[in-house]
Amino acid sequence: MTYIKIQQVSKFYKRRGQVTEALRDINLEFEQGTFVSLIGPSGCGKSTLLRIVGGLTDIDQGEVAIGGLSPLGAQKQKQFGFVPQSPALFPWRTVLQNMNVPFEVNTKGTGMKLEQREDPVELLQSVGLGDFVHSYAKELSGGMQQRVGIARAFGSGAPILLMDEPFSALDEITREMISYQLLDIWQSHQKTVLFVTHSLREAVLLSDKVVVMSARPGQVSKVIDIDLPRPRHADIEDNEQFHHYISEIRGYLREKWK
Amino acid sequence: MRSAAEEATMIVRQEVRQKQREDKLLVKLKLKFSESIYLPPAAAFIALFLLWEAAVRLLNVNPVTLPAPTAVVRELVGSIAFYLPHAWVTLYEALLGFFLGMAVAITAGIFMAHSRLLERMLLPIAILANVTPIMAIAPLFILWFGFDALPKVLIAAIITFFPMLINSIMGFRSIDENHLEYMNSLHASKREIFTKLRLPNSLPYLFSAARTCVSLSVMGAVVGEWSGSTEGLGNIIMMSSNYMQTERMFSAIFMLAIMGICLTNIVRFIEIKLLSWHVSSNRGI
Ligand SMILES: Nc1ncnc2c1ncn2[C@@H]1O[C@H](COP(=O)(O)OP(=O)(O)OP(=O)(O)O)[C@@H](O)[C@H]1O
Ligand SMILES: [Mg+2]
Repeated sequence: MTYIKIQQVSKFYKRRGQVTEALRDINLEFEQGTFVSLIGPSGCGKSTLLRIVGGLTDIDQGEVAIGGLSPLGAQKQKQFGFVPQSPALFPWRTVLQNMNVPFEVNTKGTGMKLEQREDPVELLQSVGLGDFVHSYAKELSGGMQQRVGIARAFGSGAPILLMDEPFSALDEITREMISYQLLDIWQSHQKTVLFVTHSLREAVLLSDKVVVMSARPGQVSKVIDIDLPRPRHADIEDNEQFHHYISEIRGYLREKWK
Repeated sequence: MRSAAEEATMIVRQEVRQKQREDKLLVKLKLKFSESIYLPPAAAFIALFLLWEAAVRLLNVNPVTLPAPTAVVRELVGSIAFYLPHAWVTLYEALLGFFLGMAVAITAGIFMAHSRLLERMLLPIAILANVTPIMAIAPLFILWFGFDALPKVLIAAIITFFPMLINSIMGFRSIDENHLEYMNSLHASKREIFTKLRLPNSLPYLFSAARTCVSLSVMGAVVGEWSGSTEGLGNIIMMSSNYMQTERMFSAIFMLAIMGICLTNIVRFIEIKLLSWHVSSNRGI
């Protein structure tokens, strides 16, 4: 059944008399528990689309429904676990205290229930941060901070996770390692994820669906289903099909350059 | 039996070892000294006082012009029962003014951080109050409020107000966009964003202003006392100036200096305890 439904959505930014058409006629549908990657050239509106779904930006045309709710309605019920590009950890809180933030604000929102809460320490251990539970954010490296951000989103109990290039500031090696950790933690939680990335490899490795977008104005040029078996592990990168998907996506991205 | 030669080498070795141990100790002491927070400034102060003492004695300076530090200390310790109540009055005025100025500034900062319009309306008034020399206002306050503590408290509060206001506005406003967006994604209320994000974010700004303001507030109290008072360290300085009691004057100055150092360090201490997460609290001064 369709869980997230994006219908004919358009978005314009107006600033100092100048109008930018950020998104045009976006139509997308995702089922619950799907891992979706958004990929496309810089400025094609990936972040905008993510923020629209999360109720952080309004739309000019069209309609977005999340389990029958508007984005703002879903936000009020705390349905979103947001992982921005920079990890957005409060420096005055320890790692564990940062994990508590989703439960301390908007306590009327029903999306996250404290009683059903997963043990945050266990979650941190699962991303290899068991020894840093009581450290302050500035005592962690960028990659470690980003892992806290991911653990916080999964541990918040929110059914939908919105990740906007969470790995873009990391080096190649860390990035690869964290992508496997994300794969594992997703496998054990099966949440609906919208994941913005610039990496073809990450998109194919993690996703059930890859949405390829084109720029100016942002449009969906192709939605590709990734039919690779799950659970997936590192050896999937030896799979021929894996590389086939990567070149297929690359093909769609290149098409638009011409 | 050891031979005499062996004995000799042993003694030499022992001496060498002893020397090495002493060297190590010296190095350690040197390290301790240069790394300590208190020792270097203390040494500098002692040097300064020795120089002062020597200069006064060797050059036979008239004690009415410049008393020797030992004479000042003798006077201060000898008549401490006289000085302490006055110091207490000044401290009381300064601290009351400091807390009053801080409370008003933070409250105003909360409003002004929330509304640009309010900021545009109120900030010029605050700036006007700030650029007007406090010495010029002090006599007016005495005229209005008399010789009691009130005008001094108000002057100390006015001095404290502006730096606290500017820093609190900055602290409340200068939050990370990403943090704000994260809070919004959870549909956090304005109030929650204030208490969980803006307020903790402002603490380093508030403390850095408080460190300066706490000694400024002492200055405010003294300026108030100069303009008209019956007690307080500022009053002592003024009176002793009239009667050329230089030792007494220096005693009051010493007490003010000590008060300033203590107050600044208390704020610093609270800051370090409270803001261990903040980078600048790990560094000196
Ligand atoms: N707040 C804003 N005000 C005005 N224009 C904006 C704003 N945010 C985004 N835009 C414009 O909308 C378009 C899409 O921006 P968006 O940030 O969604 O792109 P993106 O795909 O996430 O890019 P990137 O990969 O570089 O992060 C861009 O042309 C951008 O200039
Ligand atoms: Mg973006």
